[in-house]
Amino acid sequence: MLVLLDTCVYLRLAKRIRPFLGLKFGHHDYVLAVLPAVENEVLKNPTLKYHNPWFTEGAFESERIAHAVRLSKQEKIDLSNIKSVFTGHVHTKLSEFMIGGRSPPGAVDCEVLGFAYLRQAIVVTDDLGLHLLAADFKLAIWHGYELLHKLFAAKIVTSDLIRDIYDAMERNQDITATWMNAKHITFKKVFGKRS
Amino acid sequence: MQKVINTESIKSVLSAKGWDQKHLAKEIGVSAQAITNWFKGADFPRPDKLLKLSTLLALPFASLVLTPGTELPVVAFRKRAGTKTTEDHIIQAQHTGNLLRPLVPYLPAPKSLRTYIASPSCQYTQLQNAVASVRQKLGIGLRSVMSYSQLIKEFSDNDAVIVPVMWGKKSRHENALHILLKSENVTFIFLNLDSHLEDFKFWMAHELAHVYTPDLAGTDEGENFADAFAGALLFPRELAQEAYAQATHKTSVSGQLKVIQQCADDHAISLNSVYIEVNNYAKSLELPLLDINSKSIHALRSMKQGELVSETLFKPLPPEPVVYMAASRNMFKSDFFDALKKLVKDKETSAGYIQQILASSLTDANALYKELMR
Repeated sequence: MLVLLDTCVYLRLAKRIRPFLGLKFGHHDYVLAVLPAVENEVLKNPTLKYHNPWFTEGAFESERIAHAVRLSKQEKIDLSNIKSVFTGHVHTKLSEFMIGGRSPPGAVDCEVLGFAYLRQAIVVTDDLGLHLLAADFKLAIWHGYELLHKLFAAKIVTSDLIRDIYDAMERNQDITATWMNAKHITFKKVFGKRS
Repeated sequence: MQKVINTESIKSVLSAKGWDQKHLAKEIGVSAQAITNWFKGADFPRPDKLLKLSTLLALPFASLVLTPGTELPVVAFRKRAGTKTTEDHIIQAQHTGNLLRPLVPYLPAPKSLRTYIASPSCQYTQLQNAVASVRQKLGIGLRSVMSYSQLIKEFSDNDAVIVPVMWGKKSRHENALHILLKSENVTFIFLNLDSHLEDFKFWMAHELAHVYTPDLAGTDEGENFADAFAGALLFPRELAQEAYAQATHKTSVSGQLKVIQQCADDHAISLNSVYIEVNNYAKSLELPLLDINSKSIHALRSMKQGELVSETLFKPLPPEPVVYMAASRNMFKSDFFDALKKLVKDKETSAGYIQQILASSLTDANALYKELMR
């Protein structure tokens, strides 16, 4: 089963978990992937590129090319309609998407979720607005830390690597509330219980 | 927001496919009664069923759902040379407009008196009269240089919120974006600071024309008027007359070019703007046009392109969020970031909202968010 990562989750995990994309794991044969929209979002943005210089390095680029997920012509047409339904839905209940640490999902977010709908894939994102949208449409969605936990359960990542990932996020002030909350609950085997 | 299914468009697709309501119900996985209720407006499909409807019938949201009483934001672009506005650009700008609606209650109360050009016309005399009355209202003589601060004040006096952005020199199709929220009576004007200084004043004047003529916003007529108004406001007939007299005394093209360049430098506008206004003046009186051709104007202009606005405002680039927001407040007299600060604190909206309304990266949005939350 395809597992689609949004830009932030990819940037948070791909540098340290090697190999990453195309990796098969778990009982459901999950396979990690990113869409070209994610690639474009980083490449078109000087700040994202500046903060993630590894993104354009050969090994990472080759891995993304090797496991690129392409859309058929019909899928592109369907995706456009699906995105419009997501966006329309967001506009009709905008106030709910703007409270409690959420934001209305953006175009790339809607594209990732729309593609997941077309291919019955799972989306991984730390964007709480996208979680709300996925819940409204009854679509499968994970938080970034949930993916990391599944990789841990499948023995793809070690406790040391999880500590490294957390350390980097904290150092870069890139850690979200959901990752913080998961630290001593989901990863209590790694970090212990909250003292 | 009240929503109903667009029965007409759905029935038309059903008929083209040879499907009846019963078949549609089976495909979607609901009862035939549910479809009847949707069509009657007695009920509205749940999001997952609406999505199924969209994919089965290949219809976008706009064809599938009617939202009576909801109006789309009016959008207008100041395009970058050589770019073409597509449907996607319009949809994205309207989306931004919709996202800006929740910000409006956090802006200062609207002013009751605004400048309004009742009968906008590109006809030379009428245009010059409109420009003269705007200059008079602002207390600027017809031969005086129109300053940035005077232009900026006019935006604020007319409830137009300037949003200075740094979209890069070439990464976007537009260098300015005008979003009018009619029911809220507020206009947002995004100005790309990564633009050449000599063009910037013209774009501001162009956007100001849209503010003065809300009924024309988003139309070709509105764009044509805004271009004509901007040129005339920055370099009115009286100035064009003097420049024409000086230039036509020169015996060579290079001599004429020097006169035009001097005027452009004096008024901090582009060579092309002066050239067009001087020739418009000549045409209005059926006088011979300048000997200069537009090719030489563009050649000279591209040779002499100066700094970007962002380069003159911020050294070093990129600016720290606190510096950027201070420039927005102090130089552009914009209430945008103050309103945004109140909104994100009040509603606990995340940085993704800032990323979307400013079309920035999440990294930049996060940095702004942290500053706003201080």
